[in-house]
Amino acid sequence: MTKGWKKLGVTVLAGAMALTLVGCGNSNSSSASNKKVKITIFQGKVESNKQFKQIAARYHKLHPNVSISVSSVGGGTDYSPVLKTRISSGNAPTIFSLAGPADVKQFASQEADLSNTKAAKAAQSGTLNAVTTNGKTVGLPFNVEGYGFVYNKTIFKKAGIDPTSLTTMAKLTAAVKKIDSEKSELGIKGVFALPGKETWILSDHLANLYVGQQFNGNAQKMYKSKSMSFTANKEMKSMIDLQKQYSVGPVMQLDYSAQVNQNFSQGKVAMIQQGDWIYSTVEQIDKKFAKNDIGMIPIPVKGYENKLPVGTSLYWGVNKNKSTAEQTAAKNFLDWLYTSKEGKKLVVNKLHFVPAYKGYGNVKMPDALSQVVFKYSKANKTIGWAFPAYTGTSWDPNTFQPNLQKYLSGKQSWDTTVKNSIKGWNEQQSSN
Amino acid sequence: MKNRSLSFWLFLTPTLVALALVVFIPAIMGVFYSFTNWDGLGYTEMLGFKNYITLFHNSGFLAALWFTVRFVIVTVILLNVIGLALALLVTQKFKGSNLLRTIFFMPNLIGGLILGFIWQFIFTQAFTAIGKALHIAGLSGWLTDAKTGFWGLVIVTVWQMSGYIMIIYIAYLQNIPSEVIEAAEMDGASPWQRFVHITFPMIAPAFTICMFLTLSNGFKIYDQNLSLTNGGPYKSTEMLAMNIVNTAYSENNFALAEAKALIFFLIVAAISMLQVYYNRKREVDL
Repeated sequence: MTKGWKKLGVTVLAGAMALTLVGCGNSNSSSASNKKVKITIFQGKVESNKQFKQIAARYHKLHPNVSISVSSVGGGTDYSPVLKTRISSGNAPTIFSLAGPADVKQFASQEADLSNTKAAKAAQSGTLNAVTTNGKTVGLPFNVEGYGFVYNKTIFKKAGIDPTSLTTMAKLTAAVKKIDSEKSELGIKGVFALPGKETWILSDHLANLYVGQQFNGNAQKMYKSKSMSFTANKEMKSMIDLQKQYSVGPVMQLDYSAQVNQNFSQGKVAMIQQGDWIYSTVEQIDKKFAKNDIGMIPIPVKGYENKLPVGTSLYWGVNKNKSTAEQTAAKNFLDWLYTSKEGKKLVVNKLHFVPAYKGYGNVKMPDALSQVVFKYSKANKTIGWAFPAYTGTSWDPNTFQPNLQKYLSGKQSWDTTVKNSIKGWNEQQSSN
Repeated sequence: MKNRSLSFWLFLTPTLVALALVVFIPAIMGVFYSFTNWDGLGYTEMLGFKNYITLFHNSGFLAALWFTVRFVIVTVILLNVIGLALALLVTQKFKGSNLLRTIFFMPNLIGGLILGFIWQFIFTQAFTAIGKALHIAGLSGWLTDAKTGFWGLVIVTVWQMSGYIMIIYIAYLQNIPSEVIEAAEMDGASPWQRFVHITFPMIAPAFTICMFLTLSNGFKIYDQNLSLTNGGPYKSTEMLAMNIVNTAYSENNFALAEAKALIFFLIVAAISMLQVYYNRKREVDL
């Protein structure tokens, strides 16, 4: 028995010594050559996580001294608590994602100044509005996304309407009425599919065009504003009414998947208010349809005709509490991804991102919807996204969304909806 | 004796440490944070009772509390009535009573989230289809309206939990000495009289347990709420637990959520304690 224990002790001791030697050898050789840096990325776009991992592996191949580990949790309400937990427990990532002005304020103690990075200088005008405070840029956009009316080309052709001509509310209304009167010949159930269950489609996206006007679509400006005048509310009402009246029903029972998967992708409606992110869903349901039959037009808004709302849902932030070497490596990686020749290719072809940066020249976007977004954003025919200013705080989910839903289900007049929404905004902003 | 108390403490310490780390210390910190402007990372100022004042107007708390209270009243009554009825049914001697026990208990094995999604499909698709076929307008549009949303939640909760409550009642029903029942039968008591004067008082302890379980569970429900209605439409079916989670995670107001959670805890503790105290009083000993 004693012998056995002794043997074991010797083995363990020898093993430990061997390990120490190996460890020493390693550290010696690395300090002799390039210094090794390990950076961690924790990001909120869970659907692209696999691609980011592949990109990180590629970067490690090109820069063997930098190793990158990527992890992700999706969704706005799931991501930020996990990030907070990681920061509080001393396991903060080097690169993390920020969703808008509220996040910028929230994580202010972590954000490094990125104004001097190549990527920040190459960013398209307007994309940095939401992440610039006191002259400092603390975020770099992932990509740009855009939304409007995604339409079914075949149905419009059959109805004899050119969708690109629908630049005003009057023209849109006339076209909608014409399509509606020919529903049975066209083989559709309704003109629109308006998902009343999905609060963000009306409140974030549609309202951005009418509420955001006052702030020129600048999220940071809106976030700081103490008051809000919802002057364009009448126009918003007529747009909601139009979509509701000519939608497949019952409107309050439709959600995102009913809108995109069950109605639009199966050709049951002529158009839906959605963005370029629905492409992959449509493709999964009907590859041919996605490839040949869909297009997107801007939502006609008075004073902003033929302009597409284009914006950024997520930004990269770099943790300023990490070592300088780590921060530099992180910035270099982001610069490489968005401004180097190979990086650009990966952004477009691997991530399917519409670039938020200049210098992409005439690359061809891989699908019909992102092509539209890219075209409008290159031509500068865009309206900014102001809604990150209000979705990141409690006004939207607490005041605007429930009030809009009350209107949509006929429980409340439009005047009350507008009055309550403005009151809710002023109350929240005065308590900040 | 001294030795024994040493080993007593030795065995108890790990549990006490664990309990302190995951229950007591966080609870005390939570109380402290509810007086600050904590955002999950840190706090910059002490707010005193400001969070508690905000909580009572325009934060959705009172609406959620009222909705939850109504929900609890309805489900406690329904669950106990149905649970007891099912227990009485399956304790009768007939073929297949064991099979029925399994069937009634089954929903309890499915997790609340999955159950909610299954029922969401039933309410929105099956109900609508049946309503169309039979021309009953009231069957379509469930979960899209505050009233039917409420009943949807009640139905799912009752469907899920009544089997569990039934099991508890069965255990107590089988404990009633058969001599007592037989004696009553000999004296000419009708089945209804036997139930009211013998069975009912004899299973009083089961009532205490079942009332407590249904009461505290009703207050704490979250997953069914999330998967069935997600608080919609217009926050009209948002229950307390969901309101607290939303305050913390989607509105990013962790301190206010702490305050709400503390009030929630006090309410549930007070009601449960009162309920147990009064139910205990009417238990009888043989």
